Amino acid sequence: MNGYQLDWWAVLSGQPREWLFSGIWMTFRLTVFSSLLATVIAVILLAMRLTTSRLLQGIAASYITVFRNTPLAVQFLFWYFGVIPLLPELWRDWLNETHIYAGFTFPSMELIAGIWGLGLFSAAFIAEELRAGVRAVSAGQFEAARSQGLSAWQTLRYVILPQALANSWQPLIGQYLNLMKNSTLAMSIAVAELCYQVNQIESYNLHAIEAFAVGSLIYLLLGLFLSSSLDAFGRVIFKHKRSHSHG
Amino acid sequence: MDELFNWAVIADNLTYLLVGKAAEGQPGGLLLTIIISLESVLVALILGSVLALISWFSPQWLQRLITIVTDLIRGIPLLLLIFWFYFLLPMLLGNGAPDTLSVVAALGIFSAVTVMHIILSGLNALPRGQNEAARSSGFSALQTLRWVLLPQVLPMMLPSLVNLFVALIKDTSLAFIVSVPELTLLTNQVNNRTMVYPMELFLLAGFLYFLLCSSLTTFAHRLDKRRLANLSR
Repeated sequence: MNGYQLDWWAVLSGQPREWLFSGIWMTFRLTVFSSLLATVIAVILLAMRLTTSRLLQGIAASYITVFRNTPLAVQFLFWYFGVIPLLPELWRDWLNETHIYAGFTFPSMELIAGIWGLGLFSAAFIAEELRAGVRAVSAGQFEAARSQGLSAWQTLRYVILPQALANSWQPLIGQYLNLMKNSTLAMSIAVAELCYQVNQIESYNLHAIEAFAVGSLIYLLLGLFLSSSLDAFGRVIFKHKRSHSHG
Repeated sequence: MDELFNWAVIADNLTYLLVGKAAEGQPGGLLLTIIISLESVLVALILGSVLALISWFSPQWLQRLITIVTDLIRGIPLLLLIFWFYFLLPMLLGNGAPDTLSVVAALGIFSAVTVMHIILSGLNALPRGQNEAARSSGFSALQTLRWVLLPQVLPMMLPSLVNLFVALIKDTSLAFIVSVPELTLLTNQVNNRTMVYPMELFLLAGFLYFLLCSSLTTFAHRLDKRRLANLSR
């Protein structure tokens, strides 16, 4: 530690500051898009598990087992190095070029691979929380809803899912927080998110302690922001929906 | 790519991916993954138990302080925690500190927080009367913990601890970002060398992790089922 001079300005000004902002923006996009993808897949997995088809149940269960029991880093590398080269050349060329729509840049190939990898991985965990939420909904409600003439999809959409979400909202917030923190692993496939940029600052001016401290603080604040806004959101929409059937 | 799946690339590199340069005294690959996991879980168990003990016996303000510190540790991404140790340990211990040590330290401390929570929530789940009954029968606080509370909590904790170990095994893959030659790094290395069979190599790595993790998960499930069956008997 001898001779190490703390210099916060070296991290918070000039080029490093630009890197920090671009890292935050990248982490934000990665988190938001992966969360949306993960949520959609998780609901599909939940629907598959609630069907009577053994095949669909089996597919959903295997998906969850495989994605939960392998490391995210390996999944990222698999998609990036293993799958992207198999895409038709036309697609790859298109993804490699920059596309701008209405002032927004279409995600780069790295970011798309990051969103895809993180979304598919997190879906398995979110699906498990949703299933735990469904378990707390009494079985009579399925039958009641179906016998009222609702289709299976309507039963899921209007009866089961709102309660399952309300029941498992707290653990779900935890999963979305995990997703945000796991987005750091996307740096392994060259997505220039916040953790990547913090490292770049370290190798640029060797101010490791300041760079990591600022990075840690930003992640803590992002986490606080994410969990408190999801918490507030849950409080508004789930006012009366928590099921009381389960002790 | 002539065939659907190239087995040769796996056969040629399997030993290297499983044990690295173990013959030259430098274990790597899956073997190093297991070594790092075991070392980290040992650190996590010891540190986590100590934290739980301190928290159990300490006044409210100290408990709150421990909660704040542990929340901070769990609040930042594990990868960033690894970077902290990767850069700070050599500063503190001199340049001799091996990269593996910083990974074990980060993983161990990160998981110790979970161990602490598992132990504390187990203890808190016991009926309050037990503590008081034991204390009023003349047991000291420590004796109560050792002879009355822990024997009930330990079997309850076991499945959670196995799940924690599974999470740890998967998290060791982060070590590849700081160049520790565990399974993920070696797979990436072989892939960079051969260039043509990324699918095969990463599927193999995933399969090895899967074997390790899913067998432990199944084991945890069985433990949990047996415990619940014993309870309802």
